[in-house]
Amino acid sequence: MSRQNRPQRRIMGPQSALTDFLQSHNISAYQIRLDADARRRAAQNNQNDTSNQSNNETAVASPASTSDVSAGPAQSTRGRRAAETNSQEEARRTEKKAIQKIKASKKFQKRKRGLADSDDEDDLARAIFRERAAPLPGQMENCAICSKRFTVTPYTRSGPDGGLLCSPCGKDLDKDDPAAKKKAKKVAGGSGARRRQLQSSILDGTYSLGAKSLMTLCIETLAKNIDLAEDLGDLPTPVIDKIARKLSRYRLLNSRTLNLFLQPAAEEVYIYDGSKLTTDDFIRVFQTVPGLKKLKIRNGIHFKDEVMDYLLSRNIELEEFYLHGANLLSESKWKEFLHQKGGTLRSLRVYWTDKHFGDDVLSVLKSACPSLSRLKVSHNQQVTGVGITALAQLDSLRHLSLDLRNNIHSDIYVDLLSKIGANLETLSLTRVQEADNTVLDAIHMHCRSLKKLRITDSEEMTDAGFARLFTGWANPGLVFLDLQKCRQLDSAQPRENPDGIGLCSNGFRALMAHSGKTLRHLNVHGCRHIEAVAFEEVFGPEKVYDAMNKVEISFCEEVSDFIVGSVFRSCPNLRELIVFGCMKVRDVRVPRGKILVGVPNAKGMVLDGDYDD
Amino acid sequence: MALAEDTPSKYVTLVSGDGLEFVVLREATLVSPTIKGMLRGPFTEAKTGRCTFPEISGEVLEKIVEYFHYWYRNRDKEDVPDMEIPVEMCLELLQAADYFNLMPSRQEGREAA
Repeated sequence: MSRQNRPQRRIMGPQSALTDFLQSHNISAYQIRLDADARRRAAQNNQNDTSNQSNNETAVASPASTSDVSAGPAQSTRGRRAAETNSQEEARRTEKKAIQKIKASKKFQKRKRGLADSDDEDDLARAIFRERAAPLPGQMENCAICSKRFTVTPYTRSGPDGGLLCSPCGKDLDKDDPAAKKKAKKVAGGSGARRRQLQSSILDGTYSLGAKSLMTLCIETLAKNIDLAEDLGDLPTPVIDKIARKLSRYRLLNSRTLNLFLQPAAEEVYIYDGSKLTTDDFIRVFQTVPGLKKLKIRNGIHFKDEVMDYLLSRNIELEEFYLHGANLLSESKWKEFLHQKGGTLRSLRVYWTDKHFGDDVLSVLKSACPSLSRLKVSHNQQVTGVGITALAQLDSLRHLSLDLRNNIHSDIYVDLLSKIGANLETLSLTRVQEADNTVLDAIHMHCRSLKKLRITDSEEMTDAGFARLFTGWANPGLVFLDLQKCRQLDSAQPRENPDGIGLCSNGFRALMAHSGKTLRHLNVHGCRHIEAVAFEEVFGPEKVYDAMNKVEISFCEEVSDFIVGSVFRSCPNLRELIVFGCMKVRDVRVPRGKILVGVPNAKGMVLDGDYDD
Repeated sequence: MALAEDTPSKYVTLVSGDGLEFVVLREATLVSPTIKGMLRGPFTEAKTGRCTFPEISGEVLEKIVEYFHYWYRNRDKEDVPDMEIPVEMCLELLQAADYFNLMPSRQEGREAA
């Protein structure tokens, strides 16, 4: 309320400016004092009820006399009395008005529906009025439940039978009333949450048109009610595996639910999230499933030496072993395991072990694992060139993936490839900053059966090197190629690339000419020196890449609307195209059923196409 | 139910183990590779348009038929609301889903991995 709107009163006599101000806001100091007196008197009465009866008279008299004193000498008794009746009448009038208003309100109409009598109606209106006329924040009030005195705040809750509650009682009430919480949650969700969910599934690559399969629906229901399940019965293994995946996704796999997946006759146990499992649980896996051949454990933090000791004491011959996050397993136990049980091992994948899986373990592989065909060492800080050199003796190896933190010199890779490159079907070298063209040349020279190739983050390889690799390479077409972030890194001259570092135009042309027909998955994320001309040529009108399923060309600066359209045209079976950071992509029409992710506009990543091509 | 072979009916009849019969839109049943195979090959089912499933109870088959229609209604829609699955039938339905080969698509499968 502004100053001008406030009705001015004449300031005269004993009335102070403050009283004038308060009066203009319908606050009467007198009324407040009266209320306070009445409360004090009531409190006094209560006290006196318990104490001696004879004291009663004086007790009642004393507050009256104090109120007389505090009333101030200026106001005459008569004036005060008149004011009293006036204010009482006024209060009654405002109350009546408020009740009328309440009766007309929507809330009242809604609540009224249950009632028949007009008396009830009045009671209800009065109850609502009392609710509204509750004391304002900052005042003191007695709690409706425990009768304690407390300060009213904006967060104070009203009790079930009217009246306000102190904060402990209010909290108790909240606990008993889960409905309120539920309601609040629902409001927070709404259509925004649905849209976010949709975009999240697009980014996860799990987006699909139409209804979910019945099996998915059942598994989701089961996962929600897993506490009720005692036994999964004789479901087929793939179904059980799907349930296990779903449960792990919801982080529901624990000591109890693990039992559902341990079937004595099984040959495989896949634990997708072992973070809640203890050492004993892992031991129980070997106890319950004696014929175990394939074991996969992710987040197996408690897969410790004791577990390995138990495994070594049993007659279990693993063929596939996948261990993720088992940091507590010591290097000597790894060696013991490989010496004793390595004979049958065909696949060994080890993720996230900082210190205890190093060169010594890799050196053991040659003698201990004669039939090892798949080896993956990921997120490892311990392995150095010595270990990689040792791998060169593993003639049986078909799939090799390395993601190491130590830099390995290119010569070591060249040596490795010259010895075992001919049979490799998978070669994945993640984060090899210092690997150079000699590695590419070695691949060109020795690899003859590669299907999947990944070289990422190289800052040394050049366009000419990539072009040499793919030109006249005797290897059949690749199915999977990931060359992300093979590019020149120079913050001073980001656009200049005189030495042709990284995968650029010629390398891109050569790779598509060599493998375009067979590639299902292509990733050239961050290879930002591929020119628009090269894209337009490769995805020209006469070029068709039937196999292509997913293409990632994020952060390739030259990619424009036209190129995106060309990619969709040239790859009829494409499902997903990712174009984060391609600022020239503005407004593309996406064919029906295909997904374009990462468009730099307000629509963000949406885009499932809406026209049929 | 036997019709002229060159004009197959738009509907097929699915019969449960306890003798309950469900008449379902033919196209809706094709979501299941199992039924698709039955209706396509040189089998009695293909001629009569009547498939009998002795090992599936009427209760479960009813839910399966409900799913067929749910799938058919939503086959091209985005953001489809989930169908209610009664908890007590969950495992039986899971077995039936396996029988009818109603497996997750590749995309759905990836979600769990």
